[in-house]
Amino acid sequence: MPTRSNEAAQLARTDGRNRVVAVTGAAGFLGSNLVGSLEEDDRIARIVAIDPNPVTTAGRKTRTYAVDLTDPTAEARLAEILAAERVDTIAHLAFLASPTHATAWAHELESVGTMHVTVAARHAQVRKLVMWSHTWLYGARASNPNFLTEKHPLRAPAGEPYFADKLEAEEQARKLAQRSPGVVVSILRTAPILGPTVHNAFTRYLARKLVPTMMGFDPLVQFLHEVDAIAAMHLAVLRDTPGTFNVVGDGVLPLSTVIKLAGRVSVPIPHPLAETIAAVGWVAQLVEAPPSFLRYLRFLCVADGDKARRELGFTPAYTSREALLDFVSAQRLRDVKLLSENPA
Amino acid sequence: MTESNRKPAARKAARPRKKAKPAEGRPQVAPPPSVPSLEVDAVERPSDADVAARIRELETKMDEMMVEHARERESQHDLDDGPRRRLSTVPPARPSAPVMPEGMLDTARELLSTDFYLRKWGRLGLRNRSEEVDEFGHDPVYEGKVRPFFDFLYDRYFRVEAHGVDRVPAEGRCLLVANHSGTLPFDGMMLRMAVQKEHPRHRDVRWLAEDLIFHFPFLGSFSNRVGAVRACQENAERLLDSGALVAVFPEGMKGIGKLYKDRYRLQRFGRGGFVKLCLRTRTPIVPVAILGGEETNPMLARVEYLTRAFGIPYLPVTPTFPLLGPVGLLPAPTKWKLFFGEPLDLQGYGAESADDEILVGRLTEEVRAAIQAMLDHAVGERRSVWFG
Repeated sequence: MPTRSNEAAQLARTDGRNRVVAVTGAAGFLGSNLVGSLEEDDRIARIVAIDPNPVTTAGRKTRTYAVDLTDPTAEARLAEILAAERVDTIAHLAFLASPTHATAWAHELESVGTMHVTVAARHAQVRKLVMWSHTWLYGARASNPNFLTEKHPLRAPAGEPYFADKLEAEEQARKLAQRSPGVVVSILRTAPILGPTVHNAFTRYLARKLVPTMMGFDPLVQFLHEVDAIAAMHLAVLRDTPGTFNVVGDGVLPLSTVIKLAGRVSVPIPHPLAETIAAVGWVAQLVEAPPSFLRYLRFLCVADGDKARRELGFTPAYTSREALLDFVSAQRLRDVKLLSENPA
Repeated sequence: MTESNRKPAARKAARPRKKAKPAEGRPQVAPPPSVPSLEVDAVERPSDADVAARIRELETKMDEMMVEHARERESQHDLDDGPRRRLSTVPPARPSAPVMPEGMLDTARELLSTDFYLRKWGRLGLRNRSEEVDEFGHDPVYEGKVRPFFDFLYDRYFRVEAHGVDRVPAEGRCLLVANHSGTLPFDGMMLRMAVQKEHPRHRDVRWLAEDLIFHFPFLGSFSNRVGAVRACQENAERLLDSGALVAVFPEGMKGIGKLYKDRYRLQRFGRGGFVKLCLRTRTPIVPVAILGGEETNPMLARVEYLTRAFGIPYLPVTPTFPLLGPVGLLPAPTKWKLFFGEPLDLQGYGAESADDEILVGRLTEEVRAAIQAMLDHAVGERRSVWFG
């Protein structure tokens, strides 16, 4: 009998119309779009948006709580909110889309913030955690296979705070899955996201008129369209699929072709020289990423999205090339100042 | 139902020019054989009395057909409701309106499918490359551009002769296992060329190249665009799973780095990784012996002192290399011969035998011995390094 009632409860929580989903980083690009798409999903009863900034996409079903994950009291407040709202699933999307100079703050937000979220989730007995991560965590290496699977070790440059924080965050999520076996933990590693409205390190790189490349290196790259990224998050919220998934668009493009398709001019720089230029440029805030990102302009870091297709049931609607072309069409309007928006 | 069908037909009758079209455009109503000729006549000879008579004739015919059709449908109707739904949607779909844009789209597609438009007006700067490479980075358009150079190497410079290419299966996955030679490895590309030119099915070979070349600027991305893939289990397995023809050089760096005095003596074949792979994926192995590569840049000595600092494992010393500078790296125009051996079929072993180290060792040695025997025979037969 108890098992049956348990099952019924499980069914009611997963299938019924009383599911409550909490979204951290709800004012960010992925967060706000996920809130918007969950608003229109009948299977979701309520959305709990957690972000210190106002959530523009919040609608009738959404309750917004201004909780700052970098705050030392965030954990207690989160646990309180999650319990009071009887949250079933947390979509943890409070991550930075591009590197920042405020590394201490970024560490508090990503690494420590994830700790707050996972601990609060255990306190409030949340059933599921969906977390956003990045395929760049595999690291760009000459010795990478052409398609990295989820089993591959994460070999991103650990000296770079941007990657180190995200690696620690993934570690926290995996620990949660180990310590409380009842919790479904899905980690979605997305390829660089491109699209008409998204802003991140890669879109800023392609927004330059002169795009620096490494002389003699032309790695294959892959992208994920922003719509596919949102759809994958939505799918992971709806379906219970524990594990790590690469979420990527189909197809690969050489970096030089990417730059040509974007209508930019590439400036090849010998890589030993580029390290120095990038280091100086980063300190002077002239370039969008620190020198450790240059590896991604030299070597392969392409992931295999087969597992997400099989287990999560995620099929990207856009190929890498279509995602790029969609970004380029919007970028052209920005170039001539016909389109301007505040970066999310 | 019948009524709604009749209405457009009645309207048609008032306009003689278009009268035959509804019958033509409606797929369910099989037009009687006389209708096309009628239409042609009506267009060519608009004599009024004739036309009127024919309109009447056609009208009665169509009415008959519709009644018949309706009866047919009614009988089907009882069985399932699929046809009924189709019936209700068909009449509003007038044949003239929706067909046009579709037809125009088709012509646009056709125009794009010919190379002409892309060649002439293709995106600026993309004329020398494809917009999309395959998943391992091979770019057929780019390869086409550099092809004349490789053609020259194959036909004129090394004058490659390929023996027994037809032993490579016409289709399906297959692994070519070859000896590695030459300080600068041209053998992968020459093997690719040989199968592409001489094989009856002109199959594409993807060869697996050492990691090292992917560390170097230019060399790595260039070989990748023309068909090389980094050598690792994951890549080989993925390629074989897609039914590709893959070439490996199990000697690896030890093969390229052997001294001239050790020429045509096969080095250790790794740890038999390629045999395990073939057992797992049930892939036949074709041993290949490449003769002539060893003399292109005969290595007299290896200098390993301080070279690590520059990211290279050793500095080769050939009769010409450090002496003449970069020009010294030009390969000597030796005569090349490629020998394809009997395929080794591994179908008889199960996938679990990949873990059987004794079996793997035995098969590895078998392949190695086959290549060594072909090489020894070929070296014995050869009279001149330059003319074969």
